[in-house]
Amino acid sequence: MFKIPRIIVYVLMIGGCIALIPPLVFARMRATPSPNRPIHIFWDMDFQPKFKAQAPNPLFADGRAMRPPVQGSVARGESYVDTHMFEGVVDGQWATALPTSMKLDQATLERGQQRFNIYCSACHGYSGYGDGAVNQRAMELVSNVNGPVNGTQWVAAKSLHDETTRHQPMGQLFNTITHGIRNMAGYGAQISVTDRWAIAAYVKALQFSQDAGSSGAKVAGAAN
Amino acid sequence: MSRFLFPRWSNALLPFVLVVGAIAPLYMTLLVAYGFSPKTLDGQYQPEQPVPYSHALHAGKLGLDCRYCHSTVENAAHAAVPPTQTCMNCHTQIHKDSPKLEKVRESYATGMPIEWIKVHKLGDYAYFNHAAHVTRGVSCVECHGRVDQMEVVHRAQPLAMGWCLDCHRNAVDHVRPPEEVFNLSKPTDSWTKDQRLELIKRYDLHPNDNCSTCHR
Ligand code: HEC
Ligand code: HEC
Ligand code: HEC
Ligand code: HEC
Ligand code: HEC
Ligand code: HEC
Repeated sequence: MFKIPRIIVYVLMIGGCIALIPPLVFARMRATPSPNRPIHIFWDMDFQPKFKAQAPNPLFADGRAMRPPVQGSVARGESYVDTHMFEGVVDGQWATALPTSMKLDQATLERGQQRFNIYCSACHGYSGYGDGAVNQRAMELVSNVNGPVNGTQWVAAKSLHDETTRHQPMGQLFNTITHGIRNMAGYGAQISVTDRWAIAAYVKALQFSQDAGSSGAKVAGAAN
Repeated sequence: MSRFLFPRWSNALLPFVLVVGAIAPLYMTLLVAYGFSPKTLDGQYQPEQPVPYSHALHAGKLGLDCRYCHSTVENAAHAAVPPTQTCMNCHTQIHKDSPKLEKVRESYATGMPIEWIKVHKLGDYAYFNHAAHVTRGVSCVECHGRVDQMEVVHRAQPLAMGWCLDCHRNAVDHVRPPEEVFNLSKPTDSWTKDQRLELIKRYDLHPNDNCSTCHR
């Protein structure tokens, strides 16, 4: 038997070890988040000369492929003639009921509750007392011992059961949701018109429910 | 001219060469299958975003609903990433001088969009629809993982065709009541298999695997 030279044995051993490296690299790639993926080996038709929603387009100065609507354009199905539906105003007064195309029923109130919990409860709290998580955190930031953090200014989100807010007609609530008020931003862009009315109706029901003993409780009962 | 002769010791290597020769093709095949799989090439993509926005803070700690920002997710194929205005609902006041929000204020003042980097992206030849899933009881957590615990969003799933089909062919393991879709903290197995079968029947769910469903 002839002896295999040392050098050959070493080369083979090193080769065996090197063969282990790629699987380890791949295992690591699977397990750790990294900013350098995804890697496209075959491009197929992954990148087509077309624009998907919210994609960039360098041809426009603002880089948006989706063009913002021209000021004053009216969306299909919307009209500004119906002031009740779109502004909450009837004959120059705040509307006190839902627009005629909507029904005040269980489904509307449930929709209103769901939307209220998504968009409003963060500040106003689930039952409307102004105790939402964002409001609480903001109050902490303002009353920090070393002064407000990063210049935070915060006006407490109003309790919806205040004397001033409790008696507001539905149309006024609709207007507040659409355009905001003082320190509260408007939600017209985020919430559809019918959902805004549903929220307004739900807020009324919530106010009546927290106003035990008043004649309002009966109205809310009737609404259900 | 002297002929080259293999040295005697190379005979001892012969069995070894045979073993390696047998293993090498297997090794290469497995390596390509493992290494070129979307799980490796796309897995856990986590780009650095222009603004250090944290889902763990906003969606987790502050408890904001996904729909507060991704407001189209129930109605459209595309889940819109929110415009600057949405951030400014709060940040005109909260942390209003924070250096971390510099880009947001700049975008608000100039009207130029913040250039968020897209994390989840299918090939342009594939069609995906959020509304079709979210309204039928497939939760965000099935496809995006615990976003409400991520400081920076990363891909939790490979988004490969095989992955889509795994669920389409076996949807019963992945559905929940539609009103619980946005509750990421509840795992899908908190509903029993029977309850989930019941949901499949009640909502008549038939996710299909025809090519034209996703390649149209
Ligand atoms: C980002 C926090 C925030 C969110 C979200 C929010 N609000 Fe407000 N809201 C406020 C603040 C702050 C005020 C007090 C404004 C002031 O007095 O300057 C307020 C005031 C109000 C008032 C009282 C208006 C008045 O006439 O005094 C109503 C009604 C109201 N909000 C309804 C809503 C509804 C409905 C929603 C959901 C669509 C909502 N808010 C979402 C912060 C918020
Ligand atoms: C305060 C607003 C806000 C809320 C609430 C929010 N997001 Fe986001 N989300 C964003 C922004 C801004 C981005 C883009 C920046 C990024 O990727 O981090 C984003 C990105 C994402 C992405 C990655 C999109 C891509 O580029 O592929 C996913 C997935 C996502 N959000 C899921 C969720 C889920 C699930 C929830 C609910 C638990 C949620 N988000 C709540 C603002 C929000
Ligand atoms: C409903 C209110 C609300 C909305 C909408 C919101 N944030 Fe915030 N954000 C907060 C609050 C409250 C804090 C402070 C939390 C804390 O300090 O604990 C915060 C903190 C931050 C911080 C950390 C600031 C610092 O200096 O520590 C960043 C960055 C941030 N938000 C980015 C965003 C972006 C980007 C958006 C839009 C996609 C957004 N936020 C939308 C409420 C909001
Ligand atoms: C069935 C799987 C699935 C579910 C459930 C799902 N997503 Fe997605 N999401 C995807 C895929 C796939 C993409 C990439 C889409 C593309 O590139 O066209 C994506 C992309 C996104 C994006 C980036 C914008 C876009 O549409 O491309 C956001 C934001 C997002 N998802 C948020 C959400 C939220 C919030 C939920 C829960 C309400 C959710 N997703 C539920 C699979 C899912
Ligand atoms: C976690 C489970 C799950 C995953 C992952 C999933 N789907 Fe689905 N998908 C469903 C369910 C459930 C439905 C609803 C079927 C129904 O309504 O009958 C559906 C429906 C669809 C529809 C609409 C079908 C129709 O008939 O209109 C499309 C398109 C679709 N899925 C594409 C995709 C793509 C593309 C992917 C991968 C990126 C994917 N899905 C991943 C569960 C899933
Ligand atoms: C549930 C949705 C769905 C169905 C059904 C589906 N595909 Fe796909 N397919 C996808 C997605 C998503 C991708 C892209 C994955 C990516 O972005 O890497 C894809 C990618 C592909 C690719 C490119 C693969 C690659 O890696 O280059 C081919 C080819 C393909 N599909 C063919 C088909 C054929 C043929 C059928 C019918 C038998 C089919 N697909 C059915 C979702 C689907």
